[in-house]
Amino acid sequence: MATFLSAHGYDPGPSQRPLAAGAISGLLATAPAVAILLWFGSLKVEAAILRLPTLLTLLCGWAAMAVAGALYARLFGRAANNVRGGWLFGMAFGFALWAGGAVLVLPLASGGRAPAGAAAFGVALSMLAWGLAIGLLLPFVHRPLHESLETGSHHPEVGPDAAAGKDHPIRETRQEKRG
Amino acid sequence: MEVFSLALGAAGLPSVDFVRDLSAIAFSNSPALTTASALVAHLSIGVCWAIFYASFVWGRIKVRPLVQGLLFSLLPAALAILIVYPELALIRSASDTVTLDPASFLGTLSIPMAASLLVAHLLFGLTIGAIYRRPVGYAAGKKPSPPSRRRARSQHPPRREGSTGFMFATGIECSYPTIDHGRWRRDEMDSTSHYRLWQHDFELAREIGITHIRYGPPLHLIFEGPGRYDWSYIDPQMAELEALGPEPIIDLCHFGLPSWVGDFQNPEIADALADYAAAFAERFPWVRFYTPVNEMYVCARMSALDGLWNEQLRDDGAYARAAWNLANASIRMSDKILERRKDAVLVNSESGEFYQPCCPDEHVRAIADEANERRFLPLDLIFAHPLGGQMHDLLCAQGISKDDIGRLARRKVPRRSILGVDYYEWNERLIDSNGQALALGELFGWYVIASQYWDRYHRPMMHTETNKMDAAGAPRWLWRQWHNVQLLRKSGVPLVGFTWYSLTDQIDWSIAMSQAVGIVYPVGLFDLNREARTVGLAYKHLIDLYRDEPDYRDCKALKEIID
Repeated sequence: MATFLSAHGYDPGPSQRPLAAGAISGLLATAPAVAILLWFGSLKVEAAILRLPTLLTLLCGWAAMAVAGALYARLFGRAANNVRGGWLFGMAFGFALWAGGAVLVLPLASGGRAPAGAAAFGVALSMLAWGLAIGLLLPFVHRPLHESLETGSHHPEVGPDAAAGKDHPIRETRQEKRG
Repeated sequence: MEVFSLALGAAGLPSVDFVRDLSAIAFSNSPALTTASALVAHLSIGVCWAIFYASFVWGRIKVRPLVQGLLFSLLPAALAILIVYPELALIRSASDTVTLDPASFLGTLSIPMAASLLVAHLLFGLTIGAIYRRPVGYAAGKKPSPPSRRRARSQHPPRREGSTGFMFATGIECSYPTIDHGRWRRDEMDSTSHYRLWQHDFELAREIGITHIRYGPPLHLIFEGPGRYDWSYIDPQMAELEALGPEPIIDLCHFGLPSWVGDFQNPEIADALADYAAAFAERFPWVRFYTPVNEMYVCARMSALDGLWNEQLRDDGAYARAAWNLANASIRMSDKILERRKDAVLVNSESGEFYQPCCPDEHVRAIADEANERRFLPLDLIFAHPLGGQMHDLLCAQGISKDDIGRLARRKVPRRSILGVDYYEWNERLIDSNGQALALGELFGWYVIASQYWDRYHRPMMHTETNKMDAAGAPRWLWRQWHNVQLLRKSGVPLVGFTWYSLTDQIDWSIAMSQAVGIVYPVGLFDLNREARTVGLAYKHLIDLYRDEPDYRDCKALKEIID
């Protein structure tokens, strides 16, 4: 996976805004996930497990998924902008969140209590749906947030100073001082 | 996988059948419907895993495809055993909440059942390993879908003909050699989705400020047989370039041939390609810049000396025959183009190479000398330069007469010929004490290597290709190459253009396209999503900075060629 992502380039480049795009997409993708949670009664069960009011659980979950969206966009970098493959990357991330969050972290945080029955099914399905939605949405959400080529090309790191590889002289000076 | 689970169940052995387990949680009273839904659900999960394998795993582990599939299957197997199966057990529970501990969570699966689950997943891995073997390219003789139709939507001003400004160029990567002894066609335009996104690609090039684009129509798809051409693969793109630019430098033969022509050992390629060049120039009379054959040295070396493409031979004689045939083809094509357009400009692009002996050992020096002579062979032939002694003897040993060699040496080289020198970080090589060539990186740099070519041919020059595999370091490489160009211009060499190659990332160039693996080679101004890379922004910065400078707005060297 690391090779694949590095081929796309981890660094999204100065004209891209992956964190903002990821957070917005994460928020939007939570809507279908919430619908599934409500359908299967999973939200109430989770609220009961966490001993929180349903509305607060919902708001906390929504905020957490915005953070998860930003994490997804930053982690997958350019791969997350892939219109054709994004759905799968998103679902993979959604599955990982379900396995890591709902299956492992939730029981640990609540003294071993976990959703079961239809509620557990709803949680699993909602995370896959969230992943699918963010994977599909992010390329389209990200595009209008991009800086234009015009302004992006004026960032200092892409200008003539890049020829020197600006880290090198600084590093050499520091080494000399240490010596 | 499903058959294996059913067979185990029928034999009374412990097994896990996910379809049965999924059916148990379905919410329908119809057993047939629930089984069908569960089957579809499990099948979809399998398809997702297979796509995951193709995207993330395939080609990354250097083992046979079957073993790759087998190793990959350990991941879904582990997740099935440790997460999914225990969760399914929870889902089948009647209550809404349970209290868990790790032992009770994992205790739902016995060891024999876990083993059967593992074996079933290994079978799944073996199957996808057996099926998924060559994700890019297509069987030679087949044709991909033709390019999408042109949409009239661009607001860009029309193409400027006859501009004498310095050429800020890029290219669409278009290599199309065969591998697997002619059975499998690599087609970079297909692999990088250019046939689908060509109009967007040209728009991006214009947006960056590119004035010229090196563009290679797919010869193997267009040239169907003697006198037969399928122009549908190029007509829409050419209409767009004619109307809006950038000015194309048409690359007529780029590392491959149509299957019916054979390979570069065939002496008749000169006639065939000359016919193609004539037909092309007739169909698109507005095109002025041509590269008749791209990088003849690289093409001959990879096909006949390194055994990677096309004829896949590995001997000096085969190299000499390929170089001779390519050079003859280039000359015949140039003549045909010039018959139809007298003021055509020929950009003869070649890889700028150099071999440095590591030590004073005579054997090592001899190898380096021979390699240095070999790199010049195709250009010597087309630019009527006397051949090095070893190359002359090598050609004669292949049955090429001294008269034929002399005929090329006496030829009048067309006035509007530009020498393109490409440069990458592996173009300078060290011949080590074992006689092996090792990539040196940028030891002397483009300025020094290109100067060797200038000293030999004295033709107007252009930096016709460069890029950097490390996407983060690419802006640095771009600017350093640019400073090389400036220095060579300043020293009095008539230099007419610079090229970052290519517009988008490429596929499999890290392994010289020798296998159809599908690895992204992140060297483009844009990635394959057509999102700007940092070097794309840097190139725009560079063009904006220089294009209106008097020396660049009106390039004297190009003006002398154009007029």
